[in-house]
Amino acid sequence: MIYRVFVNYKKGILDPEAEAIKKTAKRMGFKSMKNISKGKFFDIEISEKKAGLEEIRNLSEELLSNPVIENFKILKK
Amino acid sequence: MPKKVVSIIVFPGSNCDRDLAIAIQKHLNVKTEYIWHNEAKIKHHEMIFIPGGFSFGDYLRAGILATKSPAIKEVINFSKKGVPIIGICNGFQILTECKLLEGSLLVNKNQLFICKDIFLKIENKKSIFSKNIKKDILKFPIAHGQGNYYASKDSLKKLEDNEQVIFRYCSNKGSVKNKNNPNGSLNNIAGITNKKKNILGMMPHPERAISDKSTADGNIFFEGLKELL
Repeated sequence: MIYRVFVNYKKGILDPEAEAIKKTAKRMGFKSMKNISKGKFFDIEISEKKAGLEEIRNLSEELLSNPVIENFKILKK
Repeated sequence: MPKKVVSIIVFPGSNCDRDLAIAIQKHLNVKTEYIWHNEAKIKHHEMIFIPGGFSFGDYLRAGILATKSPAIKEVINFSKKGVPIIGICNGFQILTECKLLEGSLLVNKNQLFICKDIFLKIENKKSIFSKNIKKDILKFPIAHGQGNYYASKDSLKKLEDNEQVIFRYCSNKGSVKNKNNPNGSLNNIAGITNKKKNILGMMPHPERAISDKSTADGNIFFEGLKELL
């Protein structure tokens, strides 16, 4: 069983890297782009669903994301 | 009387630990002891320093992996007992990641690693760390890629209301304006304390300014800590 944890910045946090990507995309001619946000993901394989998911949730809160600036979402892969 | 001992926590990737020891020994009549991050006991805890560098290669987020080291658990325990703790640069990032200090340090607004001398205004001299600093403006080097201080609106208001902001980036005359802000930090914040005011986090490097030709203001900072030991 593999779960994917997505982590990205909360709304209102300025991500200069995403801003730079946006500027370049505009330069390349992608006119319809209003906004782009950048994030990261982690694929985590677990052996037991119930306890494993709980652990992934705790891991996401305590290590993979910083609740001051980031959100996370867990999806089954 | 035997000399007191100041502990400096060392992680894989720390690189300011030795400069810090030299600066501390120069100004405070103490010995220094390096504590490897894997050690679960900090024997000497009159005062604890967390040095700059790139702990664990800055992987995942600067400072986060260091917060899970056994020595940091001890730091957290001692912080609750009121032990003075100072985190510089990566040390500041570690202190925010383990929630001993408010907020977070984001990537610099201009996306660059910034390495230069800046001016710091001592915002208030009511903390144990700043009350004996014999100047109002200090010139320190900064060297970081993630020093852009961020906190939510509420946290920022509390920090300001409780007078927890100790240092702000300023001009050589002490004016705190956007143009004197090197990295995009909210309210030009360069250093803060916790609510109890026994923990200080700061991005600039006083330990790199004790014998340099461009600035030796670090001496004034360390001299100001004498009363704590």
